[in-house]
Amino acid sequence: MNIVIGLITGMIAGATPILLAALGGTLTFYAGIFNIAMEGMMLMAAFAAVLGSFLFHSWVVGVLFAIAGAMILALIFIFFSVTLDTDEFVTGIALNLFAVGSTTYLLRQIFKVKGVFTSKLIDSIPNIHIPLIEEIPLLGPVVSGRNLIVYLAVIATIFCYYLVFKTRFGLRLRAAGYNPNSLDSSGVRTSQMRIYSLLLCAVFCGLAGAFLSLGYVTLFAENMTAGRGWISLAAIILVDGHPYGIALISLLFGFFDGLGLFLQNYGVSSQFTSMVPYIATLVALYVYARRNRERERSTL
Amino acid sequence: MTRRILSGVLGVVIAFVVGALIMLIEGFEPLATYGALAQFSLGGIGPLATTLKNSVPLVLTGLSAAIAFASGPVNLGQPGQLVFGALAATLGGLYISLPPMLEIPLLLLFAIAGGALWSGLAGLLKQAFDMSEFIVTLMLNMIADFFTAWAIAYPFMDRKAFSPMTPPIAQSGWMPDIGPLSSSVLLMLAAVAVMWFVFQRWRAGYEWRITGQNSLFARLGGCDVRGNFMAVMLVTGALAGLAGGLVVMGGPHRFIKGLGANYAWDGIMIAIMANNGLIETLIYGVFVAAIQTGALGMELITNVPSEIAQVLQAVLVLVIVATREYAVVVFDRLAARHQAKERTT
Repeated sequence: MNIVIGLITGMIAGATPILLAALGGTLTFYAGIFNIAMEGMMLMAAFAAVLGSFLFHSWVVGVLFAIAGAMILALIFIFFSVTLDTDEFVTGIALNLFAVGSTTYLLRQIFKVKGVFTSKLIDSIPNIHIPLIEEIPLLGPVVSGRNLIVYLAVIATIFCYYLVFKTRFGLRLRAAGYNPNSLDSSGVRTSQMRIYSLLLCAVFCGLAGAFLSLGYVTLFAENMTAGRGWISLAAIILVDGHPYGIALISLLFGFFDGLGLFLQNYGVSSQFTSMVPYIATLVALYVYARRNRERERSTL
Repeated sequence: MTRRILSGVLGVVIAFVVGALIMLIEGFEPLATYGALAQFSLGGIGPLATTLKNSVPLVLTGLSAAIAFASGPVNLGQPGQLVFGALAATLGGLYISLPPMLEIPLLLLFAIAGGALWSGLAGLLKQAFDMSEFIVTLMLNMIADFFTAWAIAYPFMDRKAFSPMTPPIAQSGWMPDIGPLSSSVLLMLAAVAVMWFVFQRWRAGYEWRITGQNSLFARLGGCDVRGNFMAVMLVTGALAGLAGGLVVMGGPHRFIKGLGANYAWDGIMIAIMANNGLIETLIYGVFVAAIQTGALGMELITNVPSEIAQVLQAVLVLVIVATREYAVVVFDRLAARHQAKERTT
C-alpha cells in the first residue's frame, strides 16, 4: 500500500514543475508565440529562488525572486522578439543558453561554488497539511501534506482554463494567435496581448522553478531543469494547449518520473531509469502523430 | 554581401559593448579583460593553435546545424549525435588496434556512423510515424546523454579511474600534431570545404536548399523531398558524430564524463549567428572558440571567472541576430529615402 502512495506522491511531485511551465507556455501558445524559453525561465527562477531564500531566510522572498528571475528573461524575450522582431525560435534558444551561462556564472560569483549549492540557511517552501482530510485513509496521505506549490498548480490549471476560454482577455489572447490582423483591426494591439502572455508565462515558470529548487529539493544545481521545459513544450503540442489536457499529460510524465526513481530500488541503474520520462515523451508523440494522421484520413 | 559583413561586425561590436557594461556592473575592468581574452586566444602561435583546435567541435556541430536548418529539418540533436559519435570512436579505439594509417580513418568512420545512426533514428521516426523531429531530437539528446553515462560507468569503465571514464584508446588512433597544429584542424577545414562544395555546387545541395526555402516548390519541381530529408538528417548527424570522434581522438583520448556538455549547443548557436551560412559558420566558430580559449587564460591573470564567456556568448547571439534583422529594416528605409530623393529632383 505504501508503495502505491509513494508512487502517487512521486507522480504529483514530478508533474508539478512540468504542469506549471506548460501552463505558462500554453498562454503564449494561444497568443501565437513559438515560445521555447520555458526551460531557461525555469532555470533562472530556480536559481533566483535559492538566492532570495538564502539571503532573506524566507521562502516567500524566494518565490518572489523566482518570479522576478523568470520575468527578466521574459522582458529580454519581449524586447527582442516583439520589439525588434527577431525570430522567436532563435530568441528562445539564445535565452535558454543565456540562462545556463548566467546561472553558472552567478553560482560561481555569488556562492563561490561550482556545480551545486546548498545551505541550511535556505528556507524551503512548506508542505500543507489539511486538518480533516489528513485523517481519511488512502486519500488523506495523498491529498494532504503536499507542497504549497502543488496546490497552487491545481488552482493555476483551473485559472488558466477560465482565463483562456471564459474571459474577454482570453478571447483576445486566442485571437492574437488565431488571426492577429483582425484583432489589430478591431482595436486591440496584438503585440500587447503577446507581451501580457509572456509576462504571465514568466509568473508560471517562476513558480515552477521555485518548486524545483525550494520544494522538490532544497538546492541549486547547474542545469537542474534537465529538459523539463522541453517536456512541457511537448505536453502543450500533444494536447493543442488545453489546460486540462496539459494537467493530464503532466501527471503521466510525473508518473514515469516517479516510476524511474522507484525502479532504482530494484537494481535498474539510475541512468536507464532517468531515461524513462523522455522515452515516455517519444511514445506520447507517436500516439499524437498517429491520431493526427487518422483525423486527416477521416476528413478526406 | 557588404551589408551582411557590416551588420555582422556591428553586431559583434554592440555585443562587446554590452559585455563590457556587464563587467563594469560586476566591478571588473572591461579593457583589461578583453585584452587578456585576446592575448590568450590569438596572441602567438601556441594560443592560436589551441584556439583552432578548440574550434573543431564547434565548427563541425555548427556546420551540422547550419545545413539542417537551411535545408528544412529542425535537427537539434547535435548534442546526442556528438556523444554517440564519440562513444563509437572510443569503442573502436578500445578494441581495434591497427597502424595509424588505417586506425585513424577507421575510428573516424565509426564516429560518423555513430552520429548518423542517432540522427537516422530521429529521421526514421519522422518518416515512418510523422513525429516532429524537433522534439524527437531533443528527447534523443537526453537519452543519448544517459546512455553514454551508463556506458562509461558500467560496461566500459576504467577500473583504475576515480570518476566514470573509459580506458584510453589505442595510441595509433590519436590525432597526430603537425608542428603546433592538431591535424584535426585540417580535417575540419576539409569537412567545411567538402560540405560547401556539396551544398553550393552539387545538385543534391541545391535540392536541399530549395527544399529548405520552399518544400512545396521543391516537390513540384521534382525533388524527392522525403529522400532529401533523410539524407540531410544522416549527413548532419554524421558531421556531429565526426565532431565527437575528433574530440576523443584529438583530446583526452578516452570518453570522460561530461565530454559533450557544451560543444553541440554552442555549435547550434554558431549556426544561428552565421544565419546558416557555411563559411560564416567557420568564421563565427573560430571566433567563439577564441572567446572560450581566451576566457580560461583570462581567469588566471584577472579576477573574472571564465564562466563569463558563456554569458558573453549568449549576448553575442542575441545581439548579432537582432542587429542583422534590424539592419535589414534600416538599410531598406535608407534605400527608400534615397530613391524618393532621386525621384523628386
